[in-house]
Amino acid sequence: MDITNYVVLAAVLFAIGATTVLLRRNAIVVFMGVELMLNATNLAFVTFARLHGDLTGQVLAFFVMVVAAAEVVVGLAIIVTIFRTRRSASVDDVNLLKG
Amino acid sequence: MFEAPEIDWLALAPLIVVLGAGVVGVLVEAFVPARARRMTQIVLTLAALAGGFAFIAVLWPQIVVQPVQVVGGSVTLTPFALGAQGIIAVLAFLGVLVVADRTATGQDAFAPTASAVPGTSYEDLARRSGLEQTEIYPLLLFAAGGMMLFASTDDLIVMFIALEVLSLPLYVLCATARRRRLLSQEAAAKYFLLGAFASALFIFGVALIYGFAGSVRFFGDPSRPGVGVLPAIQSGAAQGEGMSVLLVAGVLLVVVGLLFKVGAVPFHAWTPDVYTGAPTPITGFMAACTKVAAVAALVQVLYRVAIGVQTVDPEIMRQLQMVIVVVAVLTMAVGTIVGSVQTDVKRLLAYSSIAHAGFLLVGVAGFNSQVQASTLFYLLAYGIATIGAFGVVTLVRERRVTPGSGEHNGPVGDDGVVLGEATEIAQWAGLGRKAPWLTAAFALFLLSMAGIPLTAGFIAKFGAFTGAASGGLWWLAVLGVLASVVAVAFYLRLLVVMVFQRAQDDPAEPLVKLAETTPGAAPGEAEVSTSGDVSTGATAGAGATATLTTVQVTTAQRIEVTVVRSRGPAAVAIAVCAVATVILGVFPSPVLALVEQASKFVP
Amino acid sequence: MNPYVPILILMAIGAVLALGGVAASAVIGPKRYNRAKLDSYECGIEPTPHAVGGGRLPIKYYLVAMTFIVFDIEVVFLYPWAVDFTTLATFGLVSMLVFLALITVPFVYEWRRGGFDWV
Repeated sequence: MDITNYVVLAAVLFAIGATTVLLRRNAIVVFMGVELMLNATNLAFVTFARLHGDLTGQVLAFFVMVVAAAEVVVGLAIIVTIFRTRRSASVDDVNLLKG
Repeated sequence: MFEAPEIDWLALAPLIVVLGAGVVGVLVEAFVPARARRMTQIVLTLAALAGGFAFIAVLWPQIVVQPVQVVGGSVTLTPFALGAQGIIAVLAFLGVLVVADRTATGQDAFAPTASAVPGTSYEDLARRSGLEQTEIYPLLLFAAGGMMLFASTDDLIVMFIALEVLSLPLYVLCATARRRRLLSQEAAAKYFLLGAFASALFIFGVALIYGFAGSVRFFGDPSRPGVGVLPAIQSGAAQGEGMSVLLVAGVLLVVVGLLFKVGAVPFHAWTPDVYTGAPTPITGFMAACTKVAAVAALVQVLYRVAIGVQTVDPEIMRQLQMVIVVVAVLTMAVGTIVGSVQTDVKRLLAYSSIAHAGFLLVGVAGFNSQVQASTLFYLLAYGIATIGAFGVVTLVRERRVTPGSGEHNGPVGDDGVVLGEATEIAQWAGLGRKAPWLTAAFALFLLSMAGIPLTAGFIAKFGAFTGAASGGLWWLAVLGVLASVVAVAFYLRLLVVMVFQRAQDDPAEPLVKLAETTPGAAPGEAEVSTSGDVSTGATAGAGATATLTTVQVTTAQRIEVTVVRSRGPAAVAIAVCAVATVILGVFPSPVLALVEQASKFVP
Repeated sequence: MNPYVPILILMAIGAVLALGGVAASAVIGPKRYNRAKLDSYECGIEPTPHAVGGGRLPIKYYLVAMTFIVFDIEVVFLYPWAVDFTTLATFGLVSMLVFLALITVPFVYEWRRGGFDWV
């Protein structure tokens, strides 16, 4: 199978993730969009690693996974704190700072 | 066969000292008893930053002669990178001094327990038992270490990890304000969601660059010749149509991720909100240090790409330059125009920071090698003025006064509780008479930001604009000067209010303001924003709006603006910043000579 | 032989075991129902009409979940090291020990500050 298909798939997943971030209102869903973008990146990394016959890309995917996990933890902590204060995770309700 | 890499530990020493101290700080949190924690952490943090700077000073003569690539470029210590590290260490030191100051009120700017829900009895209990969130100091160290690494690597993955190491602590720090906690948490959420989005864009760009070159290092590993982004561009891999698209798209995404951290338009939306919501000392730290790290990283990425592309494909190079030029113009325009209608000091400084990102980009867009030196000088001048200015903001506070119960100029806490910062510009009226020295320092920082001669900002702007001009972008330099003139207007507006207007709470003309408190919240924690003209003798709560949901008017009280005394650290930081601003403006040559040495960024 | 055939065989065995177990117990198992058996199952906890606290989980749950995510994912770095354990030799071992020590620091912090105490 043509290996560029995987790159296309990665790009599509990335675009879906980015669209989710830009259009959805729920902080958790927005954050899931970011995660989808990161996973699309991982797919791109391993595909290119295969393409170049080079293991670096696979190692990089590990790093992205770990960073994503760290991001999840910090992000969920912030979102949960806000949720406990306001009983809502909608980014539209977060509007004290008008900018 | 695997061979263990040789590691130049001395070159890593500044990073190891700062990040290692962060790790030790976490252990301090675990093992040192609560009473001694705060002092231990402050000493540890300041010592680590000073130690890191000492190592940078030791490394300097060696690096200027011979840049070092550690482990094949994971850390690439060029004079430019080391200079950026030094500036970050200095600014972080000053920033931590402001953070550490509890002022005469005996409270620092941070929530007793940041995880407590605002307005609950648990929060109240934590406040009364005097808890403190000393975790902020290790977090600051991690952020500072991440920034130093961010500015000094050739490897895009290391850059990504450094980006997260500097961002994640900042997201958390944003959410820790003692007062206006909802705003603070909101700022953290916004910063986090947009920051995560930007870093996802960045890393996808890295993936595309990796797809193009088979490597994420620009210069590549000396032990593996021919592997690297620049060798790949040069070796004609760029000939294939599809591959070149990968490179352009990848570089653009990486640059977008970096521009977000720089706070350039159209990726600036988070800046005003986050700067307003975050605890003010953190805002100062973040505004100064993050800007240095992000601009240093951006300059290195752009100029390294330029080295590769310039010879191979001048057309793409021209387009890349155009992107930066457009972003610079937009950033200056939004920063100065929107900034001039702000009514809140912190927001005004936030838009000023956006405008400065624009001025910096004007220099960067020139794409000539002198720009490195002038950029470093600009970052130093801007950082010093920013930390000083936000330091002053932490000291200008609101105080609740019950009419008839106290003297107007009595000691702090005598007749009223000191509340949060008075950030409305209108409230700063008459500050010149209340605190002449503080006002003078603040005026100095504003003048430096405005780029008035004899301050550091003038030399900095001069450098940035000549950088653009000598790169052939005369008209951009002219636009930069025009934007500076507009910016001068809005700094002067604030100065006029401070020095020439009479204070609203001047006893000669008493103004009654009503404070509204939330049931359950202790005195001093209500969120009150006074908004302008309440006529004399008004009894209704027209001038005050509370942002919390359940509100109840308790007593008719006045909110006046007071300047609390620093307990030392913040005063030292402000004084150092003020002196440095003048010295850099009047005798810039020694520092200019230093940054001149730093204009080399090729290992 | 196609390399995926063993995987397919494994999946088939798994499916047979799982479905076979359910089917066999439905056919030969005794059927004596009582109230407790027909009740909804909640991990041994007494079921309540509404979840405690209006459907929200106690904050401790998030704390432990977050700790788990971090420590769980960090392990990923152990796999490449384990695969090339002999080649990486002392350098790899020392690096991994440093890495594990750094992972232990936040663990110690959380443990000392009561992050694992279920109240």
